[in-house]
Amino acid sequence: MARATPARAVLHRIGVAVFVSAVLGFFSLPLLWLASAPFDRDPQISASLPRFTLDNFRALLDNPYALASLRNSALLAAGTAALVVTAAALAAYALSRVRVPGRDALLYLLLLLSSIITGTAAMVPVFLLAFHLHLIDTRLGVVLVLTGGLLPTAIFILKDFTDATPPSYEEAARVFGATPLQVLRHVVAPVIRPGLATVTVWTVAQVWGDFLMPFLLLRDPDKAPAAVVMYTFYTEGGQADLPLLSTFSLLYALPVVTMYLFVSRRYGFRFHGGIKH
Amino acid sequence: MAGITLHALTKVYPGGVRALDALDLEIRNGEFFALLGPSGCGKTTLLRTVAGLETATSGEVRIGGADVTRLPPGRRDVGMVFQDYALFPHMDVADNIAYPQRVRRVPRAERRTAAAGVAAELGLDGLLGRRPGELSGGQQQRVALARAMAARPRVFLLDEPLSNLDARLRLEARTFLKRLQNELGVTTVFVTHDQAEALAMADRMAVMEGGRIRQVGTPGEVFRRPANLFVASFIGSTPMNLLPARAAPGLATAGDDLVYGVRPEYLDYSDEPLDGAFAGRVAVVENLGSTSLVTLELGRDGGAGELVHVVVGEEREPRPGARGWARPRPGRALLYRDGELVGAAEEAVA
Repeated sequence: MARATPARAVLHRIGVAVFVSAVLGFFSLPLLWLASAPFDRDPQISASLPRFTLDNFRALLDNPYALASLRNSALLAAGTAALVVTAAALAAYALSRVRVPGRDALLYLLLLLSSIITGTAAMVPVFLLAFHLHLIDTRLGVVLVLTGGLLPTAIFILKDFTDATPPSYEEAARVFGATPLQVLRHVVAPVIRPGLATVTVWTVAQVWGDFLMPFLLLRDPDKAPAAVVMYTFYTEGGQADLPLLSTFSLLYALPVVTMYLFVSRRYGFRFHGGIKH
Repeated sequence: MAGITLHALTKVYPGGVRALDALDLEIRNGEFFALLGPSGCGKTTLLRTVAGLETATSGEVRIGGADVTRLPPGRRDVGMVFQDYALFPHMDVADNIAYPQRVRRVPRAERRTAAAGVAAELGLDGLLGRRPGELSGGQQQRVALARAMAARPRVFLLDEPLSNLDARLRLEARTFLKRLQNELGVTTVFVTHDQAEALAMADRMAVMEGGRIRQVGTPGEVFRRPANLFVASFIGSTPMNLLPARAAPGLATAGDDLVYGVRPEYLDYSDEPLDGAFAGRVAVVENLGSTSLVTLELGRDGGAGELVHVVVGEEREPRPGARGWARPRPGRALLYRDGELVGAAEEAVA
């Protein structure tokens, strides 16, 4: 490559700096708002230095649905994560060990279709299906639909980890008399634990942020998760209730951030994606 | 402890590849047995079929007289060491060694005590709390051995036990393995593609090619009297001299495709003419340390330009270009007809 002249190099660096600042500002301003607005006496739609108060939190605790909805979110996330991780681990293990004709095509097809299952396009069929299975207004219904939507990606991620585990580990265990389930429990699961952690966090974050499916399938406001309840925070005048909304948003974001930090520190995220570490 | 008997053992992989072809083999109780062959000859498949990791297409595997052909690996009472050792990376050394007992539901404290005992036998005392990733190659190998021993199996199976060690360590491990096997007295089968390894360690060995066994015998027998040209050219760190031969008129072997074979180690070199010796010109001298490998280019008597290798002691090393003579030691030159051993060249000719 030809060496740029000093003046051009400086201009280039200024340009890059400006661009990076703009992008950074675009993403950090909402976070700044999230950090300041809940503690502001009169939060606006812009980020500003707050006139400090904790009244917003008191108001939130008085709201009958706020805290219960966080519990609902946790239930849905935990249920879905348990199902997704278990099923994906078994499927990924089988898919990476057993020769199935057209295995990769199947996996890519599932991956392609999975985004439809939990998407707007399948709203009506999913609703009808849930209706006929008597799963309307049940948490199980939401958990099952979300599991179906998330499984292909989870299998895809986990298969990367099971593929990277040498078959000789399992053969060694088998020679010593381990049953297939023991092999999975003693050897495969611990070896792919970073993958399991990754998929758990990813699933929880997906369910935590999902609005459409619980909104569609749950009727009882007592069962509504946080993402749906947030939608109801309006003042009598039909305006968004910013104090309540900002405070709730902060509470809503905290568990996911905490979980991410915890798991990241404990296991370290390792997406292989074909790159050897 | 038990011997292993294979009868008409055949393994055909789903793609039609015949990895084992109606193979018969008897491995005696307490023997250190080598399966030797080039890659793809079926030696690893054979070992894995004995372990139960592959199921035989037909034929029979017996361990200690009992038919185990259809038994799953865990019920054959074999201990196996894998080529990559297959130590569980998430368990420490003690848990790795104790794993066979964990499967048998021995309480944790008890099995860790037993593991410490086995580890001490193999000089792994200080390493019990380490993870496999923190061990050297030689230590990993000993942990894998200890894990196989902890199950107190009747048979040990070792898949390329030395191939993951560097050259220096390999020699050490070779001696170690041979001594350990001697002390334990457990029937042990190991797979290798390195003929020197097989010769050095085994009590007896089988040389395999294309899913069949080409020769079974002690290392001495296989080295001195290779049963066919394949074994003759595969065994020996300096390949056997194989020369096309013509039978003298009137002999029983006339007209057949004959090959005369003699190992470079069994040729005596001289710089003066000898009776019954190959005469030629020294083409290349390769230093092997205390000996040299001399390549003689046969001039007058033999075929035009045939090359004969001779191992020569350091005291009589010739110069390239000199004339030299090489005489086979009595009984060491062999004659092959259609690839199979006929006998010592003198007997066959006489």
